[in-house]
Amino acid sequence: MPAYINSIGNISPQHSLDNNLFLEEVVDHYGSHLTCKEPNYRDFIAGANLRRMSRVIKMGVSAAKICLEEAQIDNPDAIIVGTGLGCMEDTDKFLSAIYESNEEIISPTQFIQSTHNSVASQIAIMLGCNNYNFTYVHRGFSFESALFDALLQFEEDESVKNILLGGIDEITPNYLSITGRLRQWKPNEYSQLSLLANHLRGSLPGEGAAFFMLGSEQAQHTYAQLQAVGMRYKPADESEITQYITGFLASQDLAIQDIDLVLLGLNGNTELDKVYYRVRDLLFKHNHLGYFKHLCGEYKTATAFGMWLAAQILHKQRVPEAVKLEPFQAKNINNILIYNNYSNINHSLLLLKNV
Amino acid sequence: METLITDLKTQIIEHLNLEGVSPGDIDADEPLFGSELGLDSIDALEIIVMLERIYGLKIKSQEEGKKVFYSVRTLAEFISENKGLGVV
Repeated sequence: MPAYINSIGNISPQHSLDNNLFLEEVVDHYGSHLTCKEPNYRDFIAGANLRRMSRVIKMGVSAAKICLEEAQIDNPDAIIVGTGLGCMEDTDKFLSAIYESNEEIISPTQFIQSTHNSVASQIAIMLGCNNYNFTYVHRGFSFESALFDALLQFEEDESVKNILLGGIDEITPNYLSITGRLRQWKPNEYSQLSLLANHLRGSLPGEGAAFFMLGSEQAQHTYAQLQAVGMRYKPADESEITQYITGFLASQDLAIQDIDLVLLGLNGNTELDKVYYRVRDLLFKHNHLGYFKHLCGEYKTATAFGMWLAAQILHKQRVPEAVKLEPFQAKNINNILIYNNYSNINHSLLLLKNV
Repeated sequence: METLITDLKTQIIEHLNLEGVSPGDIDADEPLFGSELGLDSIDALEIIVMLERIYGLKIKSQEEGKKVFYSVRTLAEFISENKGLGVV
């Protein structure tokens, strides 16, 4: 059953707080990683609550609040969040405290807030919302699993009308240090807008908190229709991927040529990006192509940023130049397919339609 | 004692992340809980951890805890009386 994206709240490395603006100005961080353009959190969260929250919780709760206010809904029927790594800052702190105190003394606040479901629960506490509340932590399928659950909730229960859905992940110094030692990221500082031209080993780490109010019915300010989500774990080769994509589209009564824009999860890792280019050559040679991880970076819930991007493109009927993989003029954008893979393990598809 | 009280106020502000509060804003004789500071049970746990980490002091009795955590001054008196003694 499809759902409608009726409002959005997105805190990202781009200026995405104001839903009326849409990448008119693209932020080039010129560094080795992308961190969010954060708002003044006091505008969204009361001081007494704010003092205990780590950065990712502040990001998630604020993005959710923007989304709720735009939808003018104060008690959604469900809150569902996807996060690859949860609240790492607090986890860092309390694990360090355990180590430093010889496994004896830990801060209760950091321990409580370090759980992966802190953001979804903080939103529920803030709203006094006792409805369904779930957090998915499934690596590169975290946001997709949350999305899948949301669609199932609509399918299973007609009384469910509005679901607050989010994807969150944060960068911390320890995360950069550990994953950097695994040589996951390009080591130097560079313009991330030239990400695909940088052929050094690795990708570009990023972070974000994107929330969506999904509705079973269209609202006055609907951005787009979320038609379907698909996941394929560790496909054997490009042939299996292309078969999966064509089958996924066929299940929605669509063919490749019906897709007006394909957003690829290219992340600058030349080895991993080969998969995207092969799929492009096999399937999407005649489609308009875009990409987004030079704007938000690579993280386990980056498809949440991709979904924000697709919803805004459909709503505003404009593809920002920075998103285009190659120059093109797009008219009447009706169907957008997001194809992402995380480490060539978690392959996912999101199909959005114009309303 | 006054130096210890000032240190405690600074440590409480830092450990509980009381933004916008300075040591001068905390009255050493006012109740720590149920006052304008807005502290709650999690803050009490944080102060227990702080006591253990900085001063090496543990509180085992709930009754003792109620007296010790009444104000910054009672906290300072407790530290002053028990520093170096370890578990109370």
